[in-house]
Amino acid sequence: MKKISIGIVDYGMGNHSSIVNSLRGLGLRVKVSNQKIELDTVDVILLPGVGAFGLAMENIIKLGLDDYIKNAVNHDKPLIGICLGMQLMTESSSEHGFTNGLELIPGKIISFPNNQSHIGWNGINLKKSSSSWLNESDRTVYFNHSYYYDGPDLYKAAITHHAFPFASIIKHKNLIGLQFHPEKSQVTGKIILKKIITSLLDD
Amino acid sequence: MIKKRIIGVVTVKNGWAVQSFGYKRYLPLGKPECLIENLDRWGADEIFIQVIDRSNSNLGPDFELLEKVSRLRLETPLIYGGGIRNISDAIQVIKTGADRISLDSTYRKMPDNIKVISETLGAQAIIISTPMSFDSGMLGVYDYQKLEISLDIDSTRDIINSGIVSEMLVIDYKNEGYKNSFNRQIIDGLMIKKKGSVIAFGGITEDEQVNSLLNLDIVSAVAIGNSLSYREHAIQMIKKNIENKTLVRKPIFQSLLK
Repeated sequence: MKKISIGIVDYGMGNHSSIVNSLRGLGLRVKVSNQKIELDTVDVILLPGVGAFGLAMENIIKLGLDDYIKNAVNHDKPLIGICLGMQLMTESSSEHGFTNGLELIPGKIISFPNNQSHIGWNGINLKKSSSSWLNESDRTVYFNHSYYYDGPDLYKAAITHHAFPFASIIKHKNLIGLQFHPEKSQVTGKIILKKIITSLLDD
Repeated sequence: MIKKRIIGVVTVKNGWAVQSFGYKRYLPLGKPECLIENLDRWGADEIFIQVIDRSNSNLGPDFELLEKVSRLRLETPLIYGGGIRNISDAIQVIKTGADRISLDSTYRKMPDNIKVISETLGAQAIIISTPMSFDSGMLGVYDYQKLEISLDIDSTRDIINSGIVSEMLVIDYKNEGYKNSFNRQIIDGLMIKKKGSVIAFGGITEDEQVNSLLNLDIVSAVAIGNSLSYREHAIQMIKKNIENKTLVRKPIFQSLLK
């Protein structure tokens, strides 16, 4: 049986070693690349991310990957976004000024009130409509962010509470965005990654 | 609800993990990688590597150590501190495997640098590390390079309240390395209102101390150094004795899934 392959988009921010290790630990083939020809060959594209939204979009546009990712998604290629990678999927962010996102999912990224960050381990509560593709409930995973998704409930697949409820997983067609870091969420993260990848390819 | 964290700290000097006593005396413990690997295996909530001889000597971050740690394939979030001078160092540290960085002398010497680093990496990735003391009713910040105490707490408070950084590692530097000695008056004297913005470190060895500190609104985590290395699964043993079980996370271990 052919091994599932994941293409991690390298847009020059953050470290990829943890996510590469997690995915390889699940028995998947992994490529890290900013070359369209390489990303064309994988089953799932993964948009990682650590850092600020504006700089990330700037790098993606410089590499000509914005149109490439949009086009790939329109042609049904599954896409997973992690943390900043999830935020980049949306229409825009107000982090250090207004920046347009990839506009793959309706909604925007805004800051938590009073300069709060959301750092550490917190539970994710899956909405009923998402239980068919991920039936684990109330797992505790690692978050590290200061901005969150503000968009229609329709796209919120899981909710986490931090002063108020916000979306910790967003989903739309062949896209899944995780606000937390599954690659840093120990065994729980691996379980979630595996289920998400399987569900995207089964859909 | 966000869980309060227990952070395992590995202090490194001259390439070796050491136990530090009050920023004055150091006992070698072994290879840092071995201690870090254990903390990962034992389900630490985060691991903090602080390399204490990089800033004074202007050596920059210890990339050799970070590369060794990267090869360990950690599944636990990693904080790195030591020798970070500027944005370029900060980015390279993150690219070499750290999830967050801790800044100490950088923020005192070059406060403008912090803003640039924050705008590039995001506030959530930045912790400021502050050795402090509380003597004769006065709270002070210790400058370990000049070996002097400053009573200017406001600038530190301002950085936290501004949202440029996410958390402040408050080190009781005098009691660091000693049993059951963290001075709670340091936390009380800080008068920071922002919830979950302080990580307490230095002289925290007892379950009761951890329990009491984690119950404070401004404390998001406690950081514990050497005492975690003396017994297997020490972090989980401490968590067992925390009264309010919902405060902390109970990790799932691979062995439990089989």
